[in-house]
Amino acid sequence: MIPQEAEYRSWMLAALAGDAAAYRMLLQGLTRHLRGYYAKRLGAAAAEDAMQETLIAIHAKRATYDPARPFTAWVYGIARYKLVDEYRRTKRAAAVPLDDAGDLFGADEAEAASARRDVEKLLARLPQAKRDLVRAIKLDGHSIAEAAARTGMSETSVKVTVHRALKSLGEELGDNHADR
Amino acid sequence: MQTDDLIAHLTGELEPVRGAEVVRILAAGLALGLLGSALLMAVTIGIRPDIIQAMGGSAFWLKFTYTLVIAILGLKLVERMGRPGTDASWPALLLAVPVVTLMSMMAMQMMPADSATRHALLMGHSADVCSVLIAGLALPLFAGLFWALRRLAPTRLTEAGAAAGLLAGSAAATIYAFHCTESTATFIAIWYTAGIALTTLMGAGLGRFLLRW
Repeated sequence: MIPQEAEYRSWMLAALAGDAAAYRMLLQGLTRHLRGYYAKRLGAAAAEDAMQETLIAIHAKRATYDPARPFTAWVYGIARYKLVDEYRRTKRAAAVPLDDAGDLFGADEAEAASARRDVEKLLARLPQAKRDLVRAIKLDGHSIAEAAARTGMSETSVKVTVHRALKSLGEELGDNHADR
Repeated sequence: MQTDDLIAHLTGELEPVRGAEVVRILAAGLALGLLGSALLMAVTIGIRPDIIQAMGGSAFWLKFTYTLVIAILGLKLVERMGRPGTDASWPALLLAVPVVTLMSMMAMQMMPADSATRHALLMGHSADVCSVLIAGLALPLFAGLFWALRRLAPTRLTEAGAAAGLLAGSAAATIYAFHCTESTATFIAIWYTAGIALTTLMGAGLGRFLLRW
């Protein structure tokens, strides 16, 4: 259950009065929102730093919260300021309009998924044993030794099998192009 | 640092916040600025010698009221600009009330006048210095208000700077009214407004350099 305005506001009011337990709940709750917000716009790596900076800003500027106004709007104001600050610092402001950032990352994912589908289609043309070997070594990143141990083949024959499988796939792709 | 450690650290140093902290900070910045601007005027251009008589007439109070109303709205704007997630549109829209009122008074003076009288109304005897003196007197107020805003949390820096400039200029103009011997609505509508507009633009331009936190 994700906390919302009423809950956040009551924690904030308690925190302003000095209640550390309520303050901890508040900051922990906000962490989730902020991490998602920044991950979508800055990428996962930069998101953690941006989130921590925002927590510090919330702490330093907590006296500017007016209890007569919505707490979520106050936090959003600070989060957005820190986002713009980060864009300004990395000179991305002009290149990445705020509202398009989500679309951009969405498109990346779609492209990766479609490439993965193409590879699977290609692999389906190989016999089962060869397919498993190619997938283990070339896609899942296992070592030749691991694959050899798992299949009971020698390392040399694993290498040869994978090499031949890839070669035959390459030839098939070449044929396809020649057909067109 | 891990986020959990950070939260533990921030929670550990939590202290109760006194109510009206924002008001206290703004009041300190404004009071220091007013004091500085008043002193600056007293030692440079001085108060008009006939100030006691002038305060018995309506021209002084027209200037004083016009700039004071703008300053009150400016203070409201600065306070809102110092708080994230706060809408500041109504005090900004209300600025039209004093400006339109004085512009109407100016129109009523100018329309029946012949061209020589119009020129005299427009230029008074201090048109060349009025706006510049207001902007100069605003400098201590400018410093005090920017200091206060930096301790708050402005998130729209250009607008926040403009609000601080508006308040600095209108408060300085209120002080300047104790020096100025002009007495027509037309002069005030043009040159006082121009002085305040000048400091507002200065504030808008400096906001994003001086107000970052």
